Amino acid sequence: MNAFSRFFGFVLITFLCFNIDAQVISGSLGDFQMDETELYTMTKQMSQFISRFNYEEDQYGTKIDPKSPDYHNAAKRKTVLPLLFDMENPRTAGSLRDFFVDDLTKNNSQFFQFLGGKWYSEVSAKFIWKGNTVDVSLIMAIEKEGLGSKWVISNVFFNEFQQYFPQGELAEKEKHFLHPMSHELDFMNIYKAFNDPQIIDYYASTDYQPDYLTLFFYEIKKGNLKFDHVESVKFHVLQINNWYFEVSWFNRAGYNSGWLISNLMYINEEERQTLLKIYQPSIQQTK
Amino acid sequence: MKKILFALAFAFFALTGYQSFAQEPELSPERKHDIDSLALEKVRDLSKYVKIVGSKDTPWSEANRVIDRAEELFAPDAEIGVSSLAKTKIEYYKVRQYLERLMRLNYDRVEIDWYKIQYVSDLQRQPDGTYVGVITVFQTFKGYDAEGRLVYQDTTKKDITVYVKRKETQIGGRLIGFWDVMLGDMRVKETALK
Repeated sequence: MNAFSRFFGFVLITFLCFNIDAQVISGSLGDFQMDETELYTMTKQMSQFISRFNYEEDQYGTKIDPKSPDYHNAAKRKTVLPLLFDMENPRTAGSLRDFFVDDLTKNNSQFFQFLGGKWYSEVSAKFIWKGNTVDVSLIMAIEKEGLGSKWVISNVFFNEFQQYFPQGELAEKEKHFLHPMSHELDFMNIYKAFNDPQIIDYYASTDYQPDYLTLFFYEIKKGNLKFDHVESVKFHVLQINNWYFEVSWFNRAGYNSGWLISNLMYINEEERQTLLKIYQPSIQQTK
Repeated sequence: MKKILFALAFAFFALTGYQSFAQEPELSPERKHDIDSLALEKVRDLSKYVKIVGSKDTPWSEANRVIDRAEELFAPDAEIGVSSLAKTKIEYYKVRQYLERLMRLNYDRVEIDWYKIQYVSDLQRQPDGTYVGVITVFQTFKGYDAEGRLVYQDTTKKDITVYVKRKETQIGGRLIGFWDVMLGDMRVKETALK
């Protein structure tokens, strides 16, 4: 645990120690006499991550009334946001984090919205493929439907699929085309496109992008790919202008556990659109 | 007694609130708060049942009766997904199966305690309009052998799905609206805490 982590742990514990008796315990679940400070500091659900990120709940998990001056309070949010980072990772415990927190709280106008789109869950799962256990990452997105919303599969990453569609050398790609008057010859030259199956996609539009999700559904329907189990879950968030961050589950003792930011990147709008297209190919290009 | 008062209060709230239910597609924060309390009451019942079923002092017939009560808290297709630090792959159990396994654990004495802390998520609506939320609670388990030695212990995080659905019933010829709270799938995950 670094100095920053120890400092925030100390601040939080001090705060909790002075206030814990006032906590809710009325009607609480158990009567177990045990120090629960670690459990209070743990970000126990992704929902709690969102509430803490936006400062919509206090340090005990009690919802703040939206009419209260504490709701979305910039100064308090600024003290809570650093606690949502993995403090044991230099990538998420340095000056970039401070820059992110300053950026968020300066105007205090950007919040993480459950139904705001542009955040994804990556479900790392094991499947059985040709008798072998393989890794498949399912990208999930929240989609509004009917009276509410649901998680849908927005993309899939599976090495077996990706290797069939290598980027290829541009110079090599440029050698393979059907000339613009081929139609006049009843496409008698089209057989050339099928001579080498590995490069058949060179004959598609320059804008062509393989649709891995359709391949995935096809293989599932054919019975070639069978689900085994979920290994882990994490989240990718692209809702905040100029920032990408990843949220992972940290199952560990101490005052920095649960759902925490495990990666943070400063990105421009073009990079954000590229990432959005990767996570959700069907997404409309919008700011 | 507290439970009866709570049930009466909720029934009154449902009766008096019927008109506004009909016109109100979204739950107000106050109503959400009442529903959270009702959901927590169900989770509290579950925690009591788990303690009774797990206790080696509970007679077999009594444990089975309590398992019946516990099953009634859950939606019929609810499953319990269990993983540990050593075995991360989720094992799936039906509610009865999970509790029967707990009843048959091979310890001479067990201690099951629930932490006071609980976390209730916001309720979100699914496409059919049913509200769904998750309540997180923590439990410690200790198993002792015949010599009274502690041979196993763990602290598990339990994330319990809560479904909240608006239903209607006829009482004395009047159509009364009420919110039905039902527990759904439960994820049981061992934590690094001891």
